[in-house]
Amino acid sequence: MIDVNAYLGPFAFRRLRDRTAPALLRRMDRAGIARACVSSAAAITYRNAQAGNEEVFEDVKGHGDRFIPFAVLNPAYAGWREDLAICHERFGMRGVRLYPRWHNYRLTSPECRALVAEAARHGMVLSIPLRVEDRRQQSWLVDVPDVDKEEIAALVADAPEARFILVNGSGYLASRLGRPGLPANYVMDIALLSVELANEAGALLRVLGPDRLVFGTGIPFHYPEPALVKLELLDVSSDVKEKIRRGNAARWL
Amino acid sequence: MLLTRRAVLAGAASAWVGPAAQAGPVIDAHAHLYHRSRSTWREDDGKLIDAADKLGIEQLCCSILPPSRPATPEAFRECNAWVADAMARFPGRILGYCHVNPGYTRESLEEIRRTVEDRGFIGIKIYNEYFANEPVLFPLVELAIQLRVPILHHAGHVSWLPGPQPRISDGGHLADLARRYPEALLICAHICGGGDWEWTLKALRPAKTVFLDTSGSVTDDGVIEAAVAHLGADRLLFACDSSLTASVGRLRGAQISGTDRAKILGGNMSRILARRGAR
Repeated sequence: MIDVNAYLGPFAFRRLRDRTAPALLRRMDRAGIARACVSSAAAITYRNAQAGNEEVFEDVKGHGDRFIPFAVLNPAYAGWREDLAICHERFGMRGVRLYPRWHNYRLTSPECRALVAEAARHGMVLSIPLRVEDRRQQSWLVDVPDVDKEEIAALVADAPEARFILVNGSGYLASRLGRPGLPANYVMDIALLSVELANEAGALLRVLGPDRLVFGTGIPFHYPEPALVKLELLDVSSDVKEKIRRGNAARWL
Repeated sequence: MLLTRRAVLAGAASAWVGPAAQAGPVIDAHAHLYHRSRSTWREDDGKLIDAADKLGIEQLCCSILPPSRPATPEAFRECNAWVADAMARFPGRILGYCHVNPGYTRESLEEIRRTVEDRGFIGIKIYNEYFANEPVLFPLVELAIQLRVPILHHAGHVSWLPGPQPRISDGGHLADLARRYPEALLICAHICGGGDWEWTLKALRPAKTVFLDTSGSVTDDGVIEAAVAHLGADRLLFACDSSLTASVGRLRGAQISGTDRAKILGGNMSRILARRGAR
């Protein structure tokens, strides 16, 4: 099983108990997760996100078989091109996570578009967490809305050469991302999708096909088990479940 | 081969994490059926039952809330009649909370007495029309004490809200009400859908008579263990509030003892339900 939605290190507003590499590996073992795409949780609020990437680079050493490191980059911050090159060439990072609301830029801005093009040129995947925390529980210090799905839709349409993994999202069906018409250059994780009642995951599989959902948990922010229960409850064939569990992410990465 | 619901439940229950969990019931202490202004209400109610079957949830304590608020007596009576109908359609499976708006004191008291005494409802559901410690609630709390039924109170402690809820109660309001009425059975709703859950746990910690339901869509790691550490497993009630996979997943993932898990999954709610029967 591949988890496309995992993190290492501390988060500014809440203690994450399994934030170290050994603790996260134990958690992955208990949940049956073989590999996980990890990025720095601290970099979400660091002004200079590259410091978080350096920490993750140190944390994942010796665990290349389990962790797939992603960089956190801010295209509105000085030096992102050099940071991207270091993350790709020296740190061996396979993807880039973008936090446009936390880092105060638009996905459709020229600088973000340039970063996406540069990452794609290196063969790196772009990961966009639509939220870090539920807005109702955010600190009084910050008011960070979810990333606008239409903004994401505009970016994926404008960057067909890039590959995107959208995580911690829901409500796709009400946006262009949940309908045919955009390039098939993005996949969505199931961490926050419903599989019961409204069953958004089932609807997305019907509308977009079996190749567009991937397994993601949000560990160590989240328990991994809710995503496992979703996979268990999802009323699809074992072949489709296997694609979600591993196949789609393996192909994307 | 035709599978009975009991067989499905037994199979699903084995997915919980140990024999201790299977020894007791699994009760969703905070559930909702669909308002019948929704054209698909019957099908949607069926989906809820179906998902509960698959996840091993044996009983669902349900209310229906009017979409237009504040709720009028006509609106809450209509909702409660639909809950009574669902209790008849799913006997022993759907348990009913009587929803009222405390602002209509006489009508609320009549409705509570009628639904609990004549129709077998198991508790009262209060939403956000008033803070939980406002005097307008006192007559309802006194009746709940007399009838030996719990009050499930909507709650959240939030810095930011997507919609206006100027009188949403938090754990502090409920703790204050509990100090005035220590014999009341109060349930603070959705620790995982009510904003800053760490604040709520600390606010409720000294209010020993207030229960807390575990429902909500937020799947933050550690919330169940923290709730057990702050409040004790005896004060926690498994609940979903329509977020079934999130709520079941949290309990499956929580690193707590089998005994505590069994209490949370249904043992504690069973004790609350038995209070009414033990008059």
